[in-house]
Amino acid sequence: MTNIIEALSVNKKVKLGKDNELHILKNINLEIEEGEFVSVMGPSGSGKSTLLYNVSGMDRITSGSVKFKGREIGGLKEEELAKIRLKNMGFIFQDINLLKNLSLIDNVMFPALVSKDADKKAVHQKAKKLLEMTGIEMLADHNITQASGGQLQRVGICRALINNPDIIFGDEPTGALDSKSTKEIMSILAEINKKGTTVMIVTHDVKVAAKTERVLYMVDGNIVAQKKMRKYNGHPDDIKEKEESIMKWLAENGF
Amino acid sequence: MFLKIVKNDFYRKKITTVTVFVFITMAVLLGASATNIVANLIQSMSELQERAVPADITVMHAGEYDQAEIDQFAEKYRDHIVMQETMDLQNIDGSNIHFGQNQTMAGTIQDISFVVQNKKFDFILDLDNEKLEVKEGKVAVPIYFMEQYDLKIGETITVKSGGYEKEFVISDYARDFEMNSSLTSSKRFVINQNDYDEMLEMQAGELEYLIEFKLNENGDSQAVQAAYIKAGLPANGPIVGGTIFLLFNAMSDATVVMVIILISILLIIIASLCIRLTFLATIDEDLREIGVMKAIGISKKDIKNVYLNKYRVMSVAAGIIGYLLSFVLVNLFNGNMRLYISSELSGNLKYLLSFIAPLFVYFMIVMYSKKILKRIDKISAVEALRSDIMEHGKNRKYSFPLLKNKFFSINIYMGLRDVWKRFKLYRLLFFIFAVCTFIVILPLNMYNTVNSAGFSTYMGIGKSDMRIDLRRTDSITEDNKKLQEELKNDSDIEKYAAYITSSYQVKNADGSWDYINIEIGDFSVFPLKYLEGRAPEGEGEISLSFANAAKHGLNKKVGDEVTVRVGGEEQILSVTGIYQDITNGGKTAKAHTSLGVNEEAVLWYIVSMDLAPGVNIREKMDYYQNAYDSAQVNDIKEYTGQTLGNIINQMSLIVIGGIAIAVIIAVLITALFLKMLLSKDMPRIAIMRSMGLTSKNIKHQYMAGTLLVLILGIIFGVLATNYLGEFLVSIAMSTMGAAKIELVNIAWQTWLLCPLALIVVVGYTISVCCKVTEDDDLSVTFRS
Repeated sequence: MTNIIEALSVNKKVKLGKDNELHILKNINLEIEEGEFVSVMGPSGSGKSTLLYNVSGMDRITSGSVKFKGREIGGLKEEELAKIRLKNMGFIFQDINLLKNLSLIDNVMFPALVSKDADKKAVHQKAKKLLEMTGIEMLADHNITQASGGQLQRVGICRALINNPDIIFGDEPTGALDSKSTKEIMSILAEINKKGTTVMIVTHDVKVAAKTERVLYMVDGNIVAQKKMRKYNGHPDDIKEKEESIMKWLAENGF
Repeated sequence: MFLKIVKNDFYRKKITTVTVFVFITMAVLLGASATNIVANLIQSMSELQERAVPADITVMHAGEYDQAEIDQFAEKYRDHIVMQETMDLQNIDGSNIHFGQNQTMAGTIQDISFVVQNKKFDFILDLDNEKLEVKEGKVAVPIYFMEQYDLKIGETITVKSGGYEKEFVISDYARDFEMNSSLTSSKRFVINQNDYDEMLEMQAGELEYLIEFKLNENGDSQAVQAAYIKAGLPANGPIVGGTIFLLFNAMSDATVVMVIILISILLIIIASLCIRLTFLATIDEDLREIGVMKAIGISKKDIKNVYLNKYRVMSVAAGIIGYLLSFVLVNLFNGNMRLYISSELSGNLKYLLSFIAPLFVYFMIVMYSKKILKRIDKISAVEALRSDIMEHGKNRKYSFPLLKNKFFSINIYMGLRDVWKRFKLYRLLFFIFAVCTFIVILPLNMYNTVNSAGFSTYMGIGKSDMRIDLRRTDSITEDNKKLQEELKNDSDIEKYAAYITSSYQVKNADGSWDYINIEIGDFSVFPLKYLEGRAPEGEGEISLSFANAAKHGLNKKVGDEVTVRVGGEEQILSVTGIYQDITNGGKTAKAHTSLGVNEEAVLWYIVSMDLAPGVNIREKMDYYQNAYDSAQVNDIKEYTGQTLGNIINQMSLIVIGGIAIAVIIAVLITALFLKMLLSKDMPRIAIMRSMGLTSKNIKHQYMAGTLLVLILGIIFGVLATNYLGEFLVSIAMSTMGAAKIELVNIAWQTWLLCPLALIVVVGYTISVCCKVTEDDDLSVTFRS
C-alpha cells in the first residue's frame, strides 16, 4: 500500500505576544496509507486538530516535511494548495461551516462548479445522488436554517465528497451531534471509506474511534501511542468489543 | 476605565475608527464653514447697507425733468420718504474708455457711467467701506471692472469722446451697493465734481438720471412707486426697489453657502452610515463580549456607555478640530465676499453661529449611535453567546440558485448574488456611489447649463448668434431704421428680428396702475421656450415673464386678460404664454407689434440675428460696432457669460470641489467598506478557502459585487441628478424668475466621462483593498 500522507519531523509553533511561543506539534512523524480510516484522540490541547490541519496543508507547518501522495506540500504556494484542496481533499467540521446564503444542494455543488469546465448537469446529478445516499434528498432546496444539525452535517459530507477526493479530513465531525446522528454520520463515513476514500478524523468519542481502523493518541504535541484494529464490520458486538479495547488501551497510556 | 476601553477599541479597529473620525471632522468642518459664511454674509451685508445707505426706490430716467416737481412729491409723501436725491450720470460707451496697452472696454455688456458721489445717501464706498472722496484727475473704478480688466491702483484710464479727452489715475476701487453685481447691467465710475463738470461741458457722454428715494422704516415702497407714476413724474426707465440689489449682492455667495451646507449634510449622513456599518460589521464580533458582560451582571446602560463613549470622544475631538479648521477653509470661499461686500470680516457672530455645527453633529452622532445600540436591549445574554443569532428568522424564498447562472463564472455570479442577498449591507455603498455621482454631475450640468448658448432662454431671449443693443440717443429711431435696412441687405445675416422695449402702465390685480416693460416685435424668428402657452403672435396678445405672472406680480394665467394703457388709451390684451426671465428683476413682458411703441418711454432697441454659415462672428461684430457708435454689439454666448460671470466662476469652483469631494468620499468609503466586509466575512472566506477556492477566486467575488453596486449607484445618481437635481435647481432659481430650469446634459460627460472616471478610481481602490489574507493559518478562523 502507498502512503497518501507522510509527515516527517513536523513542528508547529505559534507566537503568543512578542516573546512567547507555543510549541504545539513536536517532531511529529506520521504515515497514512491510502484507503485507511484513522482517528486521532487525546486530551484537550494535545494538538489533535492542529495535526489534522497541518498534515492537510490547511495550516503552514513551522518545520519538517509533509507529503501528500508523494508530493511535498509544506512549501507550496497558496494557489497550488487550494488546487489540491479542491481536487483531492474534502473537509468536515464540527461547526459544519456551510455557506449561509446557499441552499443545501447549492452548498454541495459549489466546490464542483468552481472548475471552469464543470458540467453543470453532471454536477447536479451527482449532488442529488450524494444527498440521496445520505438520506436527505428531500431537503435539497431548503435553506440551512431549515435543517437539523445532523442533516446539515450530512450536507457537509456531501460537499466534501462532490469532487471525488482521495482523502476526507474531519475535525470532530460528530462533536456537536446527538448520539443517533453520530451513529448515522459514522456509518456514512465508514461506507465512504469502504469504497476506497481515506478518512482521517479527530474525536473525543471512543464510540467514534471504534469505527476506525487505527487510533492515534496524542499528548502535549506528541503522538505517544497508536492502536491498529480490524476494519469495522457493522456488527453491534464487534463495535462494543472494539470500544472496550480502546478504553483499556487509553487507560494504559494514562488517559 | 472607559477611556481604556476606548483606547483598546481604537487600536483594534484603527482604520475604521480613523475613517469615521475623518468623516465627522469633515462634516463639522464644512458645516461650520457654511454657517461661518452665512454669519459673515449677514453681518457684512448689514454693515455694507449701513455704510452705503442704499436707495429704497431708484427711478432711471433719460431726458429732461423738473427737480422742483420731484421735491414737491417728496414733500407730499413725507410720511414715507425720508430723503430724496437725484444723481446725474454721464453714460460713456466702453469703446471710449482706454486703458493699458491700447485696450478699450468695448467688449463689456455693462452700461458705464461717470458720477459724482451723492451727498445724502446711496454712497459709493472704497474697499474699507468708507465713503469715496475722489480728488481731481483721479477715478474710482467699479470692482467688477477691476476684476474684469485687472486694473490696479496708480494705473490710468483715458476717456475719449468727441472732442473730450482726459486721463484719470485710478485712486480707488468703488464698492457700489446698488451696482456691484454682474447681474446689474450698469456700473458707476466715481470722479471729482470739477472733472465731472468739465466732462458735462464737453458733452462727453449721454445724460441719464437716477431719481432716488430713501424711505423711513415703515415706508411703503409699492405705494410710493405707484404714486410716483400716477403723478406723471419723469420715469422712462425702469423703477427698481431696494431689495433686488440686496438679492443680487448676496446671490453668488448664497449659492456657495447652499452647496456647502448640502455637502456637509451629506457628510453627516455618510458619517452616520459609517458608524452603522461599523456596528453592523463588528457587532458579531462584539456580541459574545456583550453576552459575557450581560451574563456577569453589567447593566444595559453601562454596556451601551462602553460603546457610546467611543463615539462621544470621537465627536468631541472631531468637533474641535473641524471647528478650528473651518476658519482656515472659510478664507477660500470668502474671496468674493471680501471684494464685493466687506474687506473686514471680523464680526463675532461667526464664532457663535459656526459653533452650532459641531454641536449639531455631536448630537446627531450620539443620537444615532444610541438608536443602533438599542439592539443590545433586544439581545439576551444567552442569545448573545450564540454566534448565529443574527441569522435567525431568515426563511425567505430561495432566489438565484447556482444552476440558474448562464452567463457568468461561478465567482462573478456569487459576487453578484451576494449583493442581492445582503443588500442591507451593500446599500450604504450604493447610497455613497449615487451621492458621489450626484455631486459630480449636478454642478457639472449646472455649469454647462449656465455656460450654454441655450441659457439665453432663461434670460427671456431666444437663441441667436449675435445681438445689437441700441442706446437711448437722440438718433435712436433713425439708427434703428438704418440698421434694419442694412441688415436686410446684408447677405451674411441669415435672419434677424428687431425688438423695442418701452414702459407701459398696466392695471394691477387690485385695480391700481403700475409700470411694466413690454418688448414688442416678431417673436417667431428666435422662438423662446415657453413654460406655458406660446409667444404672442396676433393682435391683442401678450406673454408675461414668470415673475410678472406670479401671485406677487400681476397674478395672471394663460388665457387671462391684462389691461395696458398706451398713449392714454386702455387696451385689453390676452395672455398667451408665460416664459422664464432672470434679467431686470425677472419682470418683463412681450407683446405683438400691434400694441404699438410707447414713444414717450422707449427703453431700448434690440436686434437679434443669426449669421449665415461660415461667417466670422468677430468680424461681423466689429463691423456693426464701428458702423453704429452708440450700439452695443454682443456675441450671445459672451453676453450671458459676462452677465453670469461671477456665478460661472463660482460654479467652476464648485465643480472642481464636487469632483474632489466625490473622489475622496468614494475612495475612502469603498476602502473602509471592503475592509469591514472582509473582516465580517472572515469565516465565510475561510470556508471557501477550505473548499479549495483561491484568494483570487474570492477576490473576484467581492470585486464583482462592489462593481455591480458602483454601476447601480452611478445609474441611480445620474437619474437623480436629472430629476431631483433639476427640481432643486428650479426651486432655487424660481426666486430669480426662472421656474423650470432644464439642465444641459452633455451625454458623453454624464454617461461616459464621469461614470468612467468613477469606475476607474473606485475600481482601482477595490482591486487594491480587496485583498484576502493568505498568510494566516485557516484553522485560526474556524477555531476562533
